[in-house]
Amino acid sequence: MAKQFKSLHPTKFYRDYLNQDIRPDGRLVSKFRPVIINIGSIATADGSALVRIGKTTVICGIKAELCPPKPEKPNEGFLICNVELPPLCSSKFRPGPPSDLAQITTRFVADLILNSGCINLKDLCIVKEKLVWCLYADIICLDHDGCIIDACLLVLLTALKTVRLPVVQYDAAIDKKTIDASVKKCLNIYNTPVSTTYAMFEDKIITDPTTEEEEISSGLLTVVVKDKELCSIHKPGGSPLSEEKLYECINETVNHADLLITLINTAVSECNDDNKNC
Amino acid sequence: MPTDNKRIAGPEDSISYRLFKETSNESVLSKINNLKNNIRSDGRKTNEQRKIFLKCGVVSQAKGSAYFEVDNTKLIVSVYDPREIPKKTDYSLKGELFCIFKYAPFSCPNRRGHQQDAEEKQHSAIMKRALESAVCRHEFPNFQVDVYVLVLENDGSALSGAITAAGIALAQAGIPMYDTITSATLAIQGSTKLLDPTLEEEALCTIATHKSDTETGYDSHGIIVLAILSTHEQISEFYQLGNLNLDTLNESISILMNATKEIVPLVEKCLVDYVNKTFKANGQS
Amino acid sequence: MTKPLICVPGQRLCILDKTHESGQGTYERQGYIYSSLAGVVDVVDKDGVKVVEVQSTGEQTLVPTQGDIVTAQVTILTQDFCKCVIKCIGNTVLSRTYRGILRREDVCATDKDRVQIYKSYRPGDVILARVLPITEAHTYNLSTAENELGVVIAHSEHGYPMVPISWTQMQCTKMYTKELRKVAKVVPENMNTKT
Repeated sequence: MAKQFKSLHPTKFYRDYLNQDIRPDGRLVSKFRPVIINIGSIATADGSALVRIGKTTVICGIKAELCPPKPEKPNEGFLICNVELPPLCSSKFRPGPPSDLAQITTRFVADLILNSGCINLKDLCIVKEKLVWCLYADIICLDHDGCIIDACLLVLLTALKTVRLPVVQYDAAIDKKTIDASVKKCLNIYNTPVSTTYAMFEDKIITDPTTEEEEISSGLLTVVVKDKELCSIHKPGGSPLSEEKLYECINETVNHADLLITLINTAVSECNDDNKNC
Repeated sequence: MPTDNKRIAGPEDSISYRLFKETSNESVLSKINNLKNNIRSDGRKTNEQRKIFLKCGVVSQAKGSAYFEVDNTKLIVSVYDPREIPKKTDYSLKGELFCIFKYAPFSCPNRRGHQQDAEEKQHSAIMKRALESAVCRHEFPNFQVDVYVLVLENDGSALSGAITAAGIALAQAGIPMYDTITSATLAIQGSTKLLDPTLEEEALCTIATHKSDTETGYDSHGIIVLAILSTHEQISEFYQLGNLNLDTLNESISILMNATKEIVPLVEKCLVDYVNKTFKANGQS
Repeated sequence: MTKPLICVPGQRLCILDKTHESGQGTYERQGYIYSSLAGVVDVVDKDGVKVVEVQSTGEQTLVPTQGDIVTAQVTILTQDFCKCVIKCIGNTVLSRTYRGILRREDVCATDKDRVQIYKSYRPGDVILARVLPITEAHTYNLSTAENELGVVIAHSEHGYPMVPISWTQMQCTKMYTKELRKVAKVVPENMNTKT
């Protein structure tokens, strides 16, 4: 009967759970889902990572290409990141051009990466005015179960830390490029922005919501922090939020961020160790 | 080409750095000669398949899903509930399958576009044909069942893997089917037949070569993908690329039939494990 | 619990003869019964004939067919019909909903001409209905012209649940206001299983 009730009155179903201070998946209101990070699983990419937050799964592959820089920014490379929410990951998405949610997420993640300064585009310059790296970071959602922005940021940062670029020799006189694939160098990542999402349901704030929870909630809030600093807050409409509640959320995010950053660094360092061994 | 405003586009003239790599001394021709002498770069026998890993129920939001991995070829398939066929007004007695086959942009040595290209569209059509004969389409008239394939990494034989995985995903989704469907790929260069080719072998086998230095005629070469309904021993799809002489055809089909039969126990085990798991879960609740 | 007999699609289950019949989740071909689902085999004895069925253990995939009793939620009202979304078929909850349409002439069995849609249903009501023969692609025609069919769950204008007080009226549990509905006679569950 529970399933029928949930299908007909999702809000009431959920309210009954929350009145007992528990969520349908057995979590407490302020409990995060377990996070799993896997790196370097795609050999055809120059850097890759897979992140799971609960059931939400996203994969990111970074491909490096060579191109001339823009005339107005002669010593800057490119980092092009796109978030794909294919129909594969949820029945909510239709085949065809990217959905609004995909476009919003893409924009948000791309802006955040540029603004946070976690990567310096000047590092991607090979020869000024002639040749720079262009990194295509494609983030694809494989299973959409809420908190897509959190997962995308996490996977993108992890993937960026695994990028290995070969050494390029460029002879400008004859426009000749030679690649030495035997020596590969890492990219400098200056900081690690991470985020957590909250859903507002009546007078409660729910941490790390699933898709179902996101759908019945009256509003969402994503807090992005880096190194104990506030990086960005994303609150697309929804019901109003008091100042105290917002501070609570920010504090919670700062606390959780340490855990996420440790997780990324552990995963990346293990991969680095493996590289040294072989 | 129309511009894509819904994604962030990169610079127009970027090129893969792999093009400027110092190429190894071994030329394409010597590689082909190696193949013709039945030497594979990974040391496999010609009729040996790579180890297959199958798992179903990987996408929680989907009705049915499967993950397929052979060596470096990794792909994921998900199947959703029957839905209305868009832009269709008349009544049809049989349901339809709707397949989308897509390579992830980072899955191949060269970057792929976000939109489906001609090859991906063709693969989608092949999958639709292969799977439609396995599904009891009269059970969901007027509806379409969506089958989405995403190749995460391509190292050859992705299409046949996708068909096998889609069969599992459909069965897990509870879509009525006449049979389990399995598929395998064979690459042919001269008299050599390579089962389950890697991406490099696939590329080498699509190059036409002369029979010998004196002759001008081309030797047989190409790729065959065969999908089979295992219990009834019916071929549901035969897709061939390249140039083939008739004597090789019979032999090729029998190799592929054997190969697909080898996959059947894996598919069955995957499904039985799933049924066992859900049966126990049902018993507990 | 006995060990389940598990089968996969295309598995040959038994010979087709006078004592064995193919049931749900199976199909016949060349004198044999084959499974069409991955699930558990179930043999039901019906008048001396063994009906071989395969039950899927996961979520079932169903589409509404003629004669099914469905649970639907009313979305839009007009003078001539109301639109609803079908959420369950029998006891199975659908993960994808289907569109249904309930015409004025199919609301009640009697007094068809005097029926007014807005006196029978309101948006948000949960109704039980029977699926009529399919004439249009994409929408299912529904009927509530039976005593057991009609509104089962409804909320009053004030947003509180209502209880039925007659065939045509329901009462708010909080404000005690009365509203008009085509009320279903709800049959207790154990009665269904006995018959």
